[in-house]
Amino acid sequence: MASSADVREIMGLGPAGGTPEGGGGSMVTKEMILAMDRPRKSGKKEVAPKRPEGMARELYNLLYNDSKDAPPIVPTDSNRGLDQGYKSVKAKLGMRKVRPWKWMPFTNPARKDSLVLYHWRRGQDEGKEYPFAKFNKRLEMPTYTDMEYMNHLESDGWTREETDHLLDLCQRFDLRFPVIHDRYDRQTHKNRSIEDLKERYYGLCEKLEILHADPSKVSKPYVYDGEHERKRKRQLEKLYNRTPEEVEEEEMLKNELRKIEAKKREREKKTQDLQKLIAQADSTSTIKTDKKTQSSPSTPSNKKKSSSSQNKNAGGSKDINSMEAAGIKFPDQKSNPGVALRSQRMKLPPSVGQKKSKAIEQLLQELKVELQPMPTEEICSEFNELRSDLVLLYELKNALATCEVELQTCKMQYESLCPGKTLEIPDKLKPNPTLALIKGEKPRSISDVIDVVGAGATPPMRKRKAALEQSNVLKKIKNKNY
Amino acid sequence: MTDFADGSGTGGARVKGVTVIKPIIYGNVSKHFGKKRESDSHTHEWTVYLKPFLNEDMSNYVKKVQFKLHESYANPNRILFKPPYEVSETGWGEFEVQIKIHFNDGNERPITFYHMLKLFHTGNDSSTTTAMVQGRKTVVSENYDEIIFQDPTQYINTLLTTTRCLTLNAYKHETNFEERKAKTLESIKGGRSQVAEEIIELKEKLQLAKETIVKFKTELGKVNGQDKSEDMVF
Repeated sequence: MASSADVREIMGLGPAGGTPEGGGGSMVTKEMILAMDRPRKSGKKEVAPKRPEGMARELYNLLYNDSKDAPPIVPTDSNRGLDQGYKSVKAKLGMRKVRPWKWMPFTNPARKDSLVLYHWRRGQDEGKEYPFAKFNKRLEMPTYTDMEYMNHLESDGWTREETDHLLDLCQRFDLRFPVIHDRYDRQTHKNRSIEDLKERYYGLCEKLEILHADPSKVSKPYVYDGEHERKRKRQLEKLYNRTPEEVEEEEMLKNELRKIEAKKREREKKTQDLQKLIAQADSTSTIKTDKKTQSSPSTPSNKKKSSSSQNKNAGGSKDINSMEAAGIKFPDQKSNPGVALRSQRMKLPPSVGQKKSKAIEQLLQELKVELQPMPTEEICSEFNELRSDLVLLYELKNALATCEVELQTCKMQYESLCPGKTLEIPDKLKPNPTLALIKGEKPRSISDVIDVVGAGATPPMRKRKAALEQSNVLKKIKNKNY
Repeated sequence: MTDFADGSGTGGARVKGVTVIKPIIYGNVSKHFGKKRESDSHTHEWTVYLKPFLNEDMSNYVKKVQFKLHESYANPNRILFKPPYEVSETGWGEFEVQIKIHFNDGNERPITFYHMLKLFHTGNDSSTTTAMVQGRKTVVSENYDEIIFQDPTQYINTLLTTTRCLTLNAYKHETNFEERKAKTLESIKGGRSQVAEEIIELKEKLQLAKETIVKFKTELGKVNGQDKSEDMVF
């Protein structure tokens, strides 16, 4: 019983109406199934539950769809595109009448032997020409007279006979040069490469084209660069004959090149920032530069006084502003009314990253300045300016390191490109600590404390080595290209 | 209309462009017992304090000072409404004391700072000094700071400017702050001039490096140019 009820449900039949409960109910007849198409008796109409008041229509639709199924767990995309989706489940079969096929004889006009063959074809196409006949193209071979050959077509290493032989083969094999090459008469003529054959043939064509030119129409010139073709094939052959090791090496070299280029781009970006930095350094050290470079008539003490006074009154002037722009931008203290401790104004703003603040700390220790000095007004501003300068120093140092690497790279590249020649890096830029010692100016500059970005892991020696490797890679890549 | 007679009405208005600075000293002194106390194993007695740098009565503008001790102390929040603003205790360990100053005008927010309680003298710490007090070694750890009243309210401005002297006697501190200030300034200024010199030096190097790079690049360009002409076209 239960099974028949299931079948009925699946088939969309109503309960076996009328039949008394018993064996009859379980029978599913063909008529019953076929009767499905007929409009169902409207006795059992589905009563859609009413939408509760206040419930959003969309929500209601989710709960109650047509078949009262539970809403799908997985989102369906059946409504995608509105008209498409899964709605057109059935393939749309043609509703036209079947067109009959017939077994019929045909001749191919391209053939000269009028061979009759048979094939299946639509009845309505009977008597029409064989459709593939149009693909049978015949080439128009250039022709020349004896005079023309004598006057224009003589060529080194080619006799009239061989030329004729070539043209004959061209005609026979429709310019399929590999075949022509294969069938070439090597008994009577020289062994020639495909490129030689092509070069001769297209050369002939070009000349004859010019000779026979019809002034009324513009002809397309034949261009065949045999030398280029030969080179191209040689290269292809080389490419094909590479051993796996060579392929691997090339792959490696390519990767290296990519790395080098990435580094180069990075360096270039840094160099762009450089000019800015130099300008900043200028604005910071104008006072000192004056003192150093100008041999001005005023006495040193005088100078010193003026510079220190300038320093002092820098508190609110634009001088301090430019300085702050170069190094650390301390927040403007005057803008916030209220109570605050002076020591708070010595706090580094959050814009100074951890790396920089650590560098500042190191430098301060090197300079033997307290990390948290006694916060009087003067000390506070001096201390802030000092740290601002330190940041600038740090940035300059980093920029210089970048430049040094770049110089080394350039040098290595140059040396590898022109063996025996070299580019001389100015002494001043050579990382040479002994030089400074000999001069005895100062045993150690504070900026030496700065751990240059990325240099922590690669000391100068290693960097130079890296540059050397890099130039080797470039060299190899260049050789590869031959 | 807007000018109310009582302090709270006008007190909220700020006096623009006025900055009042009140230097303060905060810190602690500590004395060793000479032995470890059996009952609670305390070893030191100490006093943490806040006092004005100048001889003036802070209570004129300070409402209360709150010292927050380590939580292991009974009633760690010690609040003092009048000077001397200090807390004396005994203990065995160093910890950070939070000091919070509330002002007489509610419109001025209280300020908070910290002092690391010092019981033991460490050689290289410039903020601590040892002094002989009553024949026993005393560790003093004092710090200087300045309270800045930027655009103070009218109310507190009046209070700030009408402070009385704290004492008629000479007013001095354990630490010689003038000397410390001079030393600090000297080191900072020395540092600045050194840094400025190096900045110039680095800048010149950088300029040179840049020019050299350009030079090298053109050389390389020349070499590469020659090269390209003689090799390979794929």
